[in-house]
Amino acid sequence: MNNIVIAGYIRTPFTAAVKGGLSQVRPDDLAVAAVQALLRQTGVGDDAIEDLILGCAFPEGEQGFNMARMVALLAGLPQRVGGVTVNRFCGSSMQAIHQAAGAIMMGAGEAFICAGVESMTRVPMTGFNPMPNPRLAEKIPGAYMSMGETAENIARLYEISRSEQERFAVTSQQRAARARGEGKLAAEIVAVADVQADGCIREETTAETLAALPPAFDSDGSVTAGTASPLTDGAAAVLVCSEAFAVSSGLDVLARIRSIAVSGCAPEVMGIGPVISSRKALQRAGLQMGDIDIVELNEAFASQTLACARDLGLDMSRVNIDGGAIALGHPLGATGARITGKAAALLKREGGTFALATQCIGGGQGIATVLEAV
Amino acid sequence: MEIRRVAVIGAGVMGAGIAAHIANAGIPVALLDIVPPGADNRNVIADNALSKLHSQQPAALMHRRNAALITAGNTDDDMGLLAGCDWIIEAVVERLEVKRALYRSIEAVRAPGAVVSSNTSTIPLRDLIAGLTKGFAEHFLITHFFNPPRYMRLLELVSGELTRTDAEAAVRGFADRALGKGVVKCGDTPGFIANRLGIFWIQVAVAEAMALGLTVEEADAVVGRPLGIPKTGVFGLSDLVGLDLLPQLLESMLRTLPENDPLRARAEIPELVSGMIAAGYTGRKGKGGFYRLSLADGVKRRESVDLDTGEYRATAKARLESLDAAADGGLKALLAHPDKGGEYARRVLSQVLSYAAGLVPEIAADIPAVDEAMRLGYGWKFGPFELIDRLGSDWLLQRLRAAGAPIPRLLETAQGRSFYRTAGGRLQYLAADGRYCDLQRPDGVLLLADIKRRGGPLAANRSASLWDLDDGVLCLEFHTKMNALDPDVLAMIRSAVEIVPQRHKALVIYNEGSNFSVGANLGLLLFMANIAAWEQIRERVEEGQQTYRALKYAPFPVVGAPAGMALGGSLECLFHCDSVQAHSETYLGLVEAGVGVIPAWGGCKELLQRWVVNERRPGGPMPPIVKCLETVSTATVSGSAAEAIDYLFLRPQDGITMNRDRLLADAKARALALAGNYRPPEFREMHLPGLTARLALGMAVRSFRLSGRASAHDEAVALALAGIFSGGETDITDSVSESDMLALERDAFMRLVKTAQTLDRLEHMLETGKALRN
Repeated sequence: MNNIVIAGYIRTPFTAAVKGGLSQVRPDDLAVAAVQALLRQTGVGDDAIEDLILGCAFPEGEQGFNMARMVALLAGLPQRVGGVTVNRFCGSSMQAIHQAAGAIMMGAGEAFICAGVESMTRVPMTGFNPMPNPRLAEKIPGAYMSMGETAENIARLYEISRSEQERFAVTSQQRAARARGEGKLAAEIVAVADVQADGCIREETTAETLAALPPAFDSDGSVTAGTASPLTDGAAAVLVCSEAFAVSSGLDVLARIRSIAVSGCAPEVMGIGPVISSRKALQRAGLQMGDIDIVELNEAFASQTLACARDLGLDMSRVNIDGGAIALGHPLGATGARITGKAAALLKREGGTFALATQCIGGGQGIATVLEAV
Repeated sequence: MEIRRVAVIGAGVMGAGIAAHIANAGIPVALLDIVPPGADNRNVIADNALSKLHSQQPAALMHRRNAALITAGNTDDDMGLLAGCDWIIEAVVERLEVKRALYRSIEAVRAPGAVVSSNTSTIPLRDLIAGLTKGFAEHFLITHFFNPPRYMRLLELVSGELTRTDAEAAVRGFADRALGKGVVKCGDTPGFIANRLGIFWIQVAVAEAMALGLTVEEADAVVGRPLGIPKTGVFGLSDLVGLDLLPQLLESMLRTLPENDPLRARAEIPELVSGMIAAGYTGRKGKGGFYRLSLADGVKRRESVDLDTGEYRATAKARLESLDAAADGGLKALLAHPDKGGEYARRVLSQVLSYAAGLVPEIAADIPAVDEAMRLGYGWKFGPFELIDRLGSDWLLQRLRAAGAPIPRLLETAQGRSFYRTAGGRLQYLAADGRYCDLQRPDGVLLLADIKRRGGPLAANRSASLWDLDDGVLCLEFHTKMNALDPDVLAMIRSAVEIVPQRHKALVIYNEGSNFSVGANLGLLLFMANIAAWEQIRERVEEGQQTYRALKYAPFPVVGAPAGMALGGSLECLFHCDSVQAHSETYLGLVEAGVGVIPAWGGCKELLQRWVVNERRPGGPMPPIVKCLETVSTATVSGSAAEAIDYLFLRPQDGITMNRDRLLADAKARALALAGNYRPPEFREMHLPGLTARLALGMAVRSFRLSGRASAHDEAVALALAGIFSGGETDITDSVSESDMLALERDAFMRLVKTAQTLDRLEHMLETGKALRN
């Protein structure tokens, strides 16, 4: 059986939708920047690439036309390299990695570019023409529920107070600001359109500033703009290949993929998705939570992150040590590649043995990847 | 000469406001001010003025994009910009030496033929140009704008002996047509027309209120509404313009007023007022004025100054028998009343009106100029000579004789005759020589008031009339209270549809009320709802739909010509016109949601159609629906005609007239242009997504309600609208006809009008004039 490794990770800066520095950059151009930087950084020859698998949560408008193929052409990849756009909402680009792993495992290619992108400026969340099925809405009212409402549901169900969420958000901001200050984020960022660094991080955030914000989704609720991930523009890319190919090509391997999993849950508590998918992936890897040194758990909302941490028994000092999406931003399609690439890079940087990358997905899903140091 | 580029020097409140209004006309304008000592940003004054424009209320800009037409600069580095300007407006501090120094540096860069004007409010032209070259004087004028320049229609214009007629004509024409100003030619006399009379009026009204022991509320109530003067009266007006500004204006005027001018005897500033100014109580811009909003103990209270003690006390509604008399019997009843309110009105009016009569022809060539200046500059409903006519010039003569006051020559000339009369269907005014002259309207000015002087309407009922504008064009006028639409208005629209094709070519819908129309008569609706006359309500809804449909498909062109508010049912009426010629100050909106109902006279149908066929909208079935829902569920009202195009209340091909007096002529011309080869419009059947869209919109609306941005009944109204805009239970492959849309409107309207929450909203609106958020 082929071992699969992650042999490169890079991303664009993440900046706020509409007001951020990347708002005028088309999403396909953003993805091209990440893909080209990945090729440069890893030094992998583009003749070895089988396919470009690109995650995107709202693949329409400028994100339409099977964007992956367009990005491959625009990035100057050989025409014989394929391109496929995949959509599992927020899990889209982690799904891209999983698909590459599966293909490599069955001998259907040696090296894949797994990327993700979302311009939440240029293609709004829910898309330009949301047209849900009335029959489903009647059958399962939560199926189309807004993400903010699901975050409130989790906060209520798990009795996570507003101040607890805000303490966590402050930690996320502080960790991200520190990582940026120490140059730890610059290592994974390629500048685009004169934007060099992340734009969402709010270093000045304190418990007091957060406490002053009004509830964002439910006037009686506890979730605010400060404890939710911001609307973000950005792209990320990882190189996924067989371990044999990585070794023979002299690539700098970050981590080995040990196991993967997806799972479903009730849509109205979609934020709890990572719990089941992580447990499945750990079980498939033959590991316990205690074996995991590095966790990247996507912070769609503070309430949902804390609920997952509680159910999974996470040691928060190992979770999102360079900050999470509340601080960095969450460009939906790009996040899966970011947290998986990040977990692999951290495993190498911090010197642990195992890492877990996991995230929740709108509509009620979770996705998880377990990585192993090489 | 055509004015294509303008500069304003002096970026204070007036200068910035003038620049903004020139931008409103679509003309590029440079706004310059000095470089303050030690400034890092050399344009800081103009830059700050520009950024203030964006937040100013009432808005100085008619559309936010107009800001891009204004270039900020400074008088050290950017005088070169003036070389490209056809009109240079000076609006700097009222100091003669500062102005003259500026003129000399303007003269160094001014293009040949470019006109320079001063916005001075008090300095005579002859002093301004003393010592300047003949070439400068030939191109120099005073153009005195009123604050705020976008909204105050008066522009006082003074030219000197040397001023070239083409220079004056260029500025006059631009101010009239492009800026929409009522241009009034004034003599080169202190305070020109409006402030000369206005300040006299304020001084007299303040002094007499104190002498007679009236409260500020009583004084304002007497000299306000009964006299046709804005309800701020005299004390409220002082607060508005600034208590400190009046003594400054007065002082400046006293320097040049004639020795025997009656204003000299009225020039004293009461001790109370100077005390207030010294203590910072300069009016709304200061700590408060004669009135203030007090926030003691966190409770908002309106307070007024007690004119005896100078202390603030709670504001009380004025109660005088004379005011009650005025409410029933009008101005004459007020003046006949023996109480102190009546005496106050008598004293103020006799002094102010005789002062006005004594100033013609010194300050203006004729009386219409004086009346126009007071109407447009001070918001008086009637100018002083129109007021004299309302009282009878005999009344004034008797008052003056009884008081032993001198009789102005003009009043003697009148010999008891009125200052205005209608003769041969034309308005005439009394000239200084005692003869009546026709009042000449400028080319392109057509007033319905003048049409009415010629004779009766072609057809009329209690609520609306049909007038002949000549050349085959008829004019439909609403004339109910606030021009609310009632069954008689609808009946007259149907009559017009019958009458026009018989002998005429086109119809204009227009009136000269302050507002085109505030929408359907809600009192009538509430009454029918309270007695559960549901079938009658449904019939009324259907009647409106059928009436507007008949208007739309009539075999002749219809042009709507709104000014002021055009809300609810009246905007729906405009939607059914072939074209609209709107005054720039038109505020349009479908505001039905505020009273818990939805536009059901075809408004939803027409707005949706406009968005669906709009080629510049984003693609797919949802964007037009989302746009309509956003606009109507929030009862959006445009801040101008230009902004109305953003909401498609108006279409880009509709016309906008800046000068209110030119609206009817422009609308008539538009109607005639459409009349050749006229074909009625077609409704494009629409493919709408049906329930899926309603679901998607419902999700969004629910989020608004959950987050507290919409109330429970807001959600109900928005859901009803969502049902209409998504086409009901249609499928995207089916087409939705005009009748289908009207049926959806009717059903939604009837569902909502039967709810208790909608009735509460209606009642609240009728009682308080405000929307209830239940």
